[in-house]
Amino acid sequence: MNVEIAGVTRRFGRNLAVAGVDLETGPGVFGLLGPNGAGKTTLLRMLATVIGPSAGTLRLLGRDPASYGPRREIRRRLGYLPQSLGYYPGFTVAEFVEYFALLKEMPPAGVSAAVATAVERVDLGGKARAKLRTLSGGMLRRVGIAQAIVNEPELLLLDEPTAGLDPEQRVAFRTLLRDLGQRATVIVSTHLVEDVGAACTEVALMDAGKIVFHGTPAELTARGEGRGTGDAPLERGYSAVLAQARS
Amino acid sequence: MDDAELIAAVAGGDDAALRELFGRHAPWLAARLRSVLSATDVEDVLQETFLAVWRGARGYRPDGPAAGWIWGIARRQAALFLRRRGPAALVLPAVIAADGQHAGDPADAALSRADLAGAVAALGPEDSPDRRVWQLMYVEDRPVAEVADLMGIPEGTVKSRAHRARRRLRAALRGLEPEGGTR
Amino acid sequence: MNAAEANRDVTPADVDLSRVWLGVAARVWARQPGRLERLAGRLLRSPGLARALLTTPSLLLGWVIATAAVLAAGAAATSWTGTPWVALIAPAVAGTGIAYAYGPGIDPAWELSCSMAVSDRMVLLVRALAVFSLNAVLGLAASAAAVAAGISGSAASVTFGWLVPMTAVCALTLAAATVARSAMVGVAAGLAAWTITVLAGQSASGRFTAVVTDSALILPYLACAAACTAIAWYATRTPKGTT
Repeated sequence: MNVEIAGVTRRFGRNLAVAGVDLETGPGVFGLLGPNGAGKTTLLRMLATVIGPSAGTLRLLGRDPASYGPRREIRRRLGYLPQSLGYYPGFTVAEFVEYFALLKEMPPAGVSAAVATAVERVDLGGKARAKLRTLSGGMLRRVGIAQAIVNEPELLLLDEPTAGLDPEQRVAFRTLLRDLGQRATVIVSTHLVEDVGAACTEVALMDAGKIVFHGTPAELTARGEGRGTGDAPLERGYSAVLAQARS
Repeated sequence: MDDAELIAAVAGGDDAALRELFGRHAPWLAARLRSVLSATDVEDVLQETFLAVWRGARGYRPDGPAAGWIWGIARRQAALFLRRRGPAALVLPAVIAADGQHAGDPADAALSRADLAGAVAALGPEDSPDRRVWQLMYVEDRPVAEVADLMGIPEGTVKSRAHRARRRLRAALRGLEPEGGTR
Repeated sequence: MNAAEANRDVTPADVDLSRVWLGVAARVWARQPGRLERLAGRLLRSPGLARALLTTPSLLLGWVIATAAVLAAGAAATSWTGTPWVALIAPAVAGTGIAYAYGPGIDPAWELSCSMAVSDRMVLLVRALAVFSLNAVLGLAASAAAVAAGISGSAASVTFGWLVPMTAVCALTLAAATVARSAMVGVAAGLAAWTITVLAGQSASGRFTAVVTDSALILPYLACAAACTAIAWYATRTPKGTT
């Protein structure tokens, strides 16, 4: 089990962003679906150890992120792509990925090989020494994915990773996800339902800070039979579950 | 961009051009080296070759084909590699030993065989007239009369085909065209 | 079938060309850290921290030169007018530098930095110390130059007296910047506080230099510095609870 969370809640002032979440997951690709404001990003931020929970327990990669030492160990084995990632305009693609490889305390001897691998994996090999300010939005997103995977993380957290990617790139990305999910726990937060169906082995649906569905994509599809609205089976399952949760 | 332009770009520090060159040339270089080296050794030599291309692109003079220049670098890297590792790295040590005649560097000899194999392949497919003449006259060392007999053509034709084959081989070895004739 | 496709068929099945390219790319794309970065990496025992330090905006060459120029102008003004301008501007300049050493106000990848093994607090600490030290050294050089150019009198207290106020101004700037998550707010707070202090000192005792020469102020300055440092420390913890 790479992620074990029990009864986790998170408030911001009076706003209850995450209202009691229980989750356990091991290697594989885990999709986190839900409308905007459902608490997906907040949950991901807690998993990325950027913020701590208000209540509940969190165990990541077998460690407790509340203390400095274990948190540092978790962070060395973590990959995180925030929803909006700024970039350093004067850096090149390779420099940006290398910077975060160093901040993740990768052994310096292996950094250049890891950077090359990550950059090629996101298909930016022809742009490795281009300055970030010359890249399009989709390319910048791929740079973000590259820095997240550079240290071959055991826990990979991706918040809306396919924003700005064209359909062909999204297909390539799903292949990458399946590949990474062989050994690591990959948690992808997205509001694009099709992204999830193709690559994820497990899916959770969040609404108003709670998990209202947790199962396989097939089970989600089944929930939508004859009930939900939408063009694709998974979308119908999604809307059916949401409707039920809100009634 | 053609090869010469790519190499000029590499000389100017363009790593994307190097990547493009790699995509175009690494496959046939790998095939040619594979006849002499094991697969992992081919990988090591190819890596050193393209690093040498990166460092030495400024030294390229566009008076010969780019493929030939790159093969020259690959050949030198392979020779260096083999000298470091010793003759045991060679795939066909028995062949070379049996050949016996090669005074001097077995590494060079093996690479010369790779060169030759590539040039012979440029003569055409195995049953083409030039290849057959080459095979019968120079590899199997038969007299002109016998070759004429076997191929069912006059001796004069045999001689002119042999002459043409030699001329083409010389040009191929000089220009070192890659297999298939693609430039 | 074009040349590229013909080529692909030619590759021997047991040769992994993508692995070969990765080996080439690793060497071609690698960045060689400079001597300073390697030294910093050894001293700090962290190559990541060294790299973060040397990419601090207020430690980049342009910024350093600008700081030196401002202080040099101050030194020149000091030696011409007799008013110890260096002492008065050094704290302000340092405060500005410290505000641009860190954090959400200036780091576009701030959220990501908060998930790094080299913690953002460590980066803050190292950067702030480096910027402070650099500004102190430049300020001292400027002061010494002014003294050498021949201003008279209690040169020593003016030459060094501004170090303590500088510490306070830097700490205040840092506290404001980390709490407000904005370098601009930090700079504004630091400059405003220092200006008010200087003017208050001037109206209280008639001299501009009161704020840097009055030894009774040392303790309040240090207390302010300590409090602001604590605030900055608190503002940079991993948020828990309800914040």
